[in-house]
Amino acid sequence: MTTADHTERKNTVDLAMPKPLDEVEQAFVDKWHENAYGCFSSGHKFCREVCPVTQVTRNENHTPTAFHANVVAMEKGHLNIEDVADDYVHCTQCGACELRCPNTLMVGDFYRARTETVKVVRAARAMLVDKGLDREKWKQWNRLTDELKNEPVLGVDDGSQPNGQAYVRNWAEGLDIPIGGETIMFVDCEAAFYRTSLPRAIAQILQKAGYEFGLMNEQWCCGGPAAEMGYVEQSMRFARHNIDDWRASGVKRIIAIEPHDYVHFTEDYPAYFGDEFDFEVIQIVDLVAELIRQGRLKLTVPIDRVVTYHDPCRLNKRKGIHEAPREILRAIPGLTFKDVDRVTQWAYCSGGGGGLPIEKPEITAEISRRRLEKAAELEVDTLVSACVWSERPLSAAGEEAGIEVKDLMEMVAESAGIEIGGRTRA
Amino acid sequence: MTTATVDSHVVDRLRGIVGEDGVLTDKASLFNRARVPAPFPVHRWDEYLPDVVVLPRTAQQVSAVVKLANEYRIPVVPRAGGTGLADGAVPLRGGILVDLKRMDQIHEIDLVNNTVTVGPGINLETLNRSLKQHGVMYPDDPASYAVALVGGRIGTSGLSLLGARYGHPRDLVISFEIVLPTGEIIQVGDGGGRKVRKSSTGYHLKQLFMGHQGTLGIVTEATLELVPRAEAEFAAFFLFDDFDKAYRTFAKIGKSGIATLGGVMLFDPEKVDYLRRDDEAYIVQPKWVKSVCAAALYGTRPEVEAASKMLMELGRSLGGRYIGDEIAPWDWAARHDRYANPLHGRDANGQVLPMSWHCEDAAVPYSEVPAVLRKWHEITARYMEKYELFDDWGCFAYSNGAHKPWGDLLLEIDLGLWEEKLDEEGWQAFVSLKREIAQTVLDHGGSITACHGSTRTGDAELVPIEMGASWEVMKLLKRTLDPNNIMNPGKQCLDEAYQGGV
Ligand SMILES: Cc1cc2nc3c(=O)[nH]c(=O)nc-3n(C[C@H](O)[C@H](O)[C@H](O)COP(=O)(O)OP(=O)(O)OC[C@H]3O[C@@H](n4cnc5c(N)ncnc54)[C@H](O)[C@@H]3O)c2cc1C
Ligand code: SF4
Repeated sequence: MTTADHTERKNTVDLAMPKPLDEVEQAFVDKWHENAYGCFSSGHKFCREVCPVTQVTRNENHTPTAFHANVVAMEKGHLNIEDVADDYVHCTQCGACELRCPNTLMVGDFYRARTETVKVVRAARAMLVDKGLDREKWKQWNRLTDELKNEPVLGVDDGSQPNGQAYVRNWAEGLDIPIGGETIMFVDCEAAFYRTSLPRAIAQILQKAGYEFGLMNEQWCCGGPAAEMGYVEQSMRFARHNIDDWRASGVKRIIAIEPHDYVHFTEDYPAYFGDEFDFEVIQIVDLVAELIRQGRLKLTVPIDRVVTYHDPCRLNKRKGIHEAPREILRAIPGLTFKDVDRVTQWAYCSGGGGGLPIEKPEITAEISRRRLEKAAELEVDTLVSACVWSERPLSAAGEEAGIEVKDLMEMVAESAGIEIGGRTRA
Repeated sequence: MTTATVDSHVVDRLRGIVGEDGVLTDKASLFNRARVPAPFPVHRWDEYLPDVVVLPRTAQQVSAVVKLANEYRIPVVPRAGGTGLADGAVPLRGGILVDLKRMDQIHEIDLVNNTVTVGPGINLETLNRSLKQHGVMYPDDPASYAVALVGGRIGTSGLSLLGARYGHPRDLVISFEIVLPTGEIIQVGDGGGRKVRKSSTGYHLKQLFMGHQGTLGIVTEATLELVPRAEAEFAAFFLFDDFDKAYRTFAKIGKSGIATLGGVMLFDPEKVDYLRRDDEAYIVQPKWVKSVCAAALYGTRPEVEAASKMLMELGRSLGGRYIGDEIAPWDWAARHDRYANPLHGRDANGQVLPMSWHCEDAAVPYSEVPAVLRKWHEITARYMEKYELFDDWGCFAYSNGAHKPWGDLLLEIDLGLWEEKLDEEGWQAFVSLKREIAQTVLDHGGSITACHGSTRTGDAELVPIEMGASWEVMKLLKRTLDPNNIMNPGKQCLDEAYQGGV
């Protein structure tokens, strides 16, 4: 009897055996074997439809399932990292897949097991950098970041933009914020140079509530984006600079005003520095919710808008922060708030994370367009986010959809009667 | 046999049809479309690669691709979600893999005639998210609800967990557009009307083109049933100290005449044992629990409220103990994810091993269920003894007939397979284990598959036996519609239709 699975075919694609794995690849495969196999043996793809990139490209190569299967294929000698280099670019590191995976949902609670896809993507990208196979635009972006000490958020083409260390505190003009102190507000690059209304709003909220804070002495990029794109050495170097700077000026507490920084400070920094990292890290959303609860910040100016809230991936999916922003929105007088629950929003994203807009801006734009389409169905006039990196692509899509995109802290400042100043775009 | 090569000329022509970004030839694209969630001979991964992947966006593109393939005698394999458990979307002869995920649009929501028209690449849950605001739903509800796509549901003619109430895909898909193996685009339904559920015109071609696993063409658009979203839902699980009582309770509930019954389910003692020993999410039940029977109701609030009282009485009538409100609604709500994550099993000495899940399904008359279950476990035990590769994860049964939750059951045995350890001998042992399980079903007057399909080795060889004399008609249809055997060749023994040449 001929069994149906025995194929009588010749491959017409060139399947020339890939080069044997080198040391770096072997270490990658060894490290991720178990995690990858937990997925390969399931392969059920519950992660597919929540993945913002796959929703757009509809290409199975860009699914978490493939990211894990590739590890097994490499192990078996079928693929090399070169073969999948571009695939691993297709990820915003939003973490939706990890949450939606039944292996996390059902087994996770008991064994604290989790399908780790974001880490696999980052490790694969790090390998690309190690082997000199990194993508051109990421290479340029990170080279410029290394030169400027801040990300080139105002553009990579023209060296004359007001970017880099000389301009890193320009946003704070006239606000009279001290340097140093026990608590500092860490202003990430997109906020410091691009959407300056955000750090201005936050600084004035804290001043109004009488919350003491300063700015960092010599603030470099947090190093998070570099880590997300695979530039681990650079990320660690920047992190080292920052914690040395904090230490030198007696800092004990860091306010992360941006979710990516928050992830980086609470996950990567402790991984880099172990016990040496003993700083307290506070997310601005948690802090402001607390100030409102304590009555230290009064929201009195009504805002006549119909809004919905965009759960930033790194707050909702990566760090489980979803209640505080809703609490804040409900505390603003005059608002009509049409909420979409956080689990539904596992499938939402702006496309602004993980370096995606640098390499694949068209995918980011389409992810944001779809996010605004969802908002439009609710007939709102404003989409409120709490992640400055999401706000650039969302705003562009919002312009098309006739919906304004605001940061939660800008709304809070407005309702607290603050004249924010600054700008929302370059 | 279709073994023509896909050369650069063919690839260029494909690019001309679907555009640059719709043709993938790189290795990663091929390796990632060579398998589905079912166990897989990893040691022979490269035998299952397609030669090229295309991602069309329109029926016209699909038609042009199929015409090209027919001209050159190149195999064509449709792939939707790639979650089928019978390898339907796995290429056996290389060729062109037509990945349908980009055809994921909702074309029309018709709330007057209660239909929705979609592309084959849309997922069921995604579709229902869009329908929610209109108060309607498409009630196809497999455990793979979050991952299966409409094209694959038609390709497999699968089973919905709510089939007793709302019907299965064969009942819920009203009509569809399909590209034939020679490239023509036709519309099939019960008769001609796209939104007509019942007709007496002509032959009922819709069912011919359902569940053929891509061997008779490629569905490019489907018009589906919309039902009102259920106002109320109620699920109850009953615990039993022996199988027989649970089995008889299943029939009592199934035959009760409760119209809101969504489905009835049964766990055998081996399943309960397995959950107890190796399922991390199992909420511990007392030792005396040997079997479980469960049912769910869907409908308007007054209907469900009244029926829930009947259901509770029936569930308890033979000694069943209600599991409690803390567990029942949640276990039912988790039905899509709950049993999809077994990551380990055991060898004969109780040693924990990393294992993959294999689910073998069949349709079996109610009266034969105890005998089939006994034989299935005996067969599995024999293989477990001989090879340290398998584990018995127990069986469950489900009401099978649409709107008729009595008579025959979907029976599934879940097997653990130590896939990483597979060599050719182990793989062949697995295939032979599967074949024995399927043969048992035929011996008891059943069908070797109720929902996954008979495209997998181990089942495929038995298709001619199950079909009996009608196998000749099946081959004739295949040869007539697909004269060059390009559509998903090698599946279901259909190559036999071409003995003596195409
Ligand atoms: C965890 C889990 C639970 C499951 N539970 C169930 C369940 O409860 N009930 C059930 O029925 N199944 C179940 N399945 C199996 C599977 O989800 C179904 O068979 C589903 O219908 C497959 O859909 P798909 O989109 O993944 O199709 P694929 O796997 O991509 O394709 C399935 C078959 O259809 C063919 N096909 C695909 N698209 C088309 C098209 N457009 N035109 C023609 N042929 C086409 C393919 O060639 C293939 O033969 C489960 C699977 C998993 C992993
Ligand atoms: S990542 Fe999780 S949900 Fe996705 S295929 Fe793998 S095991 Fe399944």
